[in-house]
Amino acid sequence: MATAAIEANGLVKRYGDVTAVAGIDLTVAAHSIYALVGPNGAGKTTTLNMLTTLTPPTAGRVRVAGYDVQRQARHVRRCIGVTFQDIVLDRDLTGRQVLDIHGKLYRMSRQERKRRIAELVELVQLEEALDRRVKTYSGGMKRRLELARGLLSNPQVLFLDEPTQGLDPQNRVGIWNYMRNLNREHGLTLLLTTHYMEEAEMLAHTVGIIDQGLLVVEGKPADLVATLGANVIRVNGQGDRRHFIQQLGILPFVERVQFDEQDSLVQVYVDNGNRRLVEIVQAASGNGFRVEEIAVAQPGLSDVFLRYTGHALRD
Amino acid sequence: MYATYVIWSKHMTKFFHSTEEALGLALQSVLWVVLFGVGMRGIVTQVEGGDYLTFILPGIIALSALAGSVGGGMMLLDERLRGITREYLVSPIPRLSILLGNAASTSTKALLQALLMLVIGMLMGVRLTGNPLGWLVALLLVALFTLGFSGLALAVASVSRSIMGYHGMIFLLNLPVLFASNALYPLDVLPPWMRTLVLFNPTTYLIDAVRSLAFGAQPALVLANSVAILFVFATIGMWLALSAFHRSIRS
Repeated sequence: MATAAIEANGLVKRYGDVTAVAGIDLTVAAHSIYALVGPNGAGKTTTLNMLTTLTPPTAGRVRVAGYDVQRQARHVRRCIGVTFQDIVLDRDLTGRQVLDIHGKLYRMSRQERKRRIAELVELVQLEEALDRRVKTYSGGMKRRLELARGLLSNPQVLFLDEPTQGLDPQNRVGIWNYMRNLNREHGLTLLLTTHYMEEAEMLAHTVGIIDQGLLVVEGKPADLVATLGANVIRVNGQGDRRHFIQQLGILPFVERVQFDEQDSLVQVYVDNGNRRLVEIVQAASGNGFRVEEIAVAQPGLSDVFLRYTGHALRD
Repeated sequence: MYATYVIWSKHMTKFFHSTEEALGLALQSVLWVVLFGVGMRGIVTQVEGGDYLTFILPGIIALSALAGSVGGGMMLLDERLRGITREYLVSPIPRLSILLGNAASTSTKALLQALLMLVIGMLMGVRLTGNPLGWLVALLLVALFTLGFSGLALAVASVSRSIMGYHGMIFLLNLPVLFASNALYPLDVLPPWMRTLVLFNPTTYLIDAVRSLAFGAQPALVLANSVAILFVFATIGMWLALSAFHRSIRS
């Protein structure tokens, strides 16, 4: 089957009066990496919980690995691996016991468990700590152990909720490498949620931006960024900002102007940043706006986020 | 069923891993029998023609099984609050096995405690019947009883939002179970209203059955009924646990 690994239609989750997910359509191609990006509370975890059979949706349909999440939950569970946002490990067990018990839950034979554990422990480099209790592990080691656990049963689809939250940069890069290799070498489909733009940019084939329970935009990171314009000029200053923005909009080379309230930063998307810098400054001074800081930059995913949600993504 | 076994063995591994828990449980058993037995022996010498320690030992066993059930519920609550249950919930196992695995490990611990208490009791002069089959059935009934109370504790643990809330609810359950039973006093010394109350308590049936099966006392209730009631109690307990657990994960 060359069908999608995950297919969600009109997914809604309400808790009483609170709508956590307001109607999401989502398609994740098999053997790809998909990143759901959004601030905390946007509905990422709730979406993930519905995709992984943990929470029944209020409305909508989901198929994972070809099975209906509600009616064929047991089949879905057999095909997926999940790691959660917070670390969920039994601190009193050793790493080996954690993995072995997990393998038993999936009815893997003793030999298979032994083989898989050896393989995965090598992958996540936990050989030396394997027979120590989990409570002696560092945060990064726990994450790696959880990743190994999620992979143990050879899932077709791996779900990762904020896989690198709270990790130092070194561990973060390590986890990214594992994920990329798993996808490249084993064709594993990965769906991860993150509020680090960088993470989505580095890893994902497709990025979905989620805000207030809705999927605002979806696409390849490069395509999404390309829609913004070649360069962005960031301007900070004093004066009549509204008038300045209005005047900028009239200039022929300006593709779009965005204003971020919190940083009081005016972002001007132009065809060529270096060439237009002077013209922007001129436009400002002619309109009673005093420029204090100005910089040319390449737009990134965080600019995409700002464009589609109207506010910046912050940790 | 295999998943139940896996979860049971996980809890048992953790139990034997944790020296404090295993040692604590053993010491508790010793202290209960020795202190309670010796203390009470000072004021009550004989009940129904037997030694008071013999009379009270089944009650102590029931009480420690009850404490074990509360601990089992605590374990589930802890796993729930820390999110560990989610590992089970996304794996292809029946929900019931999560609860049965927990209750089975609680029962196993209760049985180990019961055995230890019987041994200490015998060292202190308690005499068992000469019928090993009777002991075996008595232990089986202790296991059923523990399953039933584990079920109640697990049901409370499934819906509790905090550790304090859990203990508050459990305390309400705990106290009448001990005192509104025949654990400390024989049935026929009770006033009629209390006797009726006591007959609603499954503990009464366990204690009466164990007294007759293991210690050769004259049963005050029909043994077959007691066995049947304990069976029903275990089933209802686990059913309650399952429906409460289902409700908590469906939200």
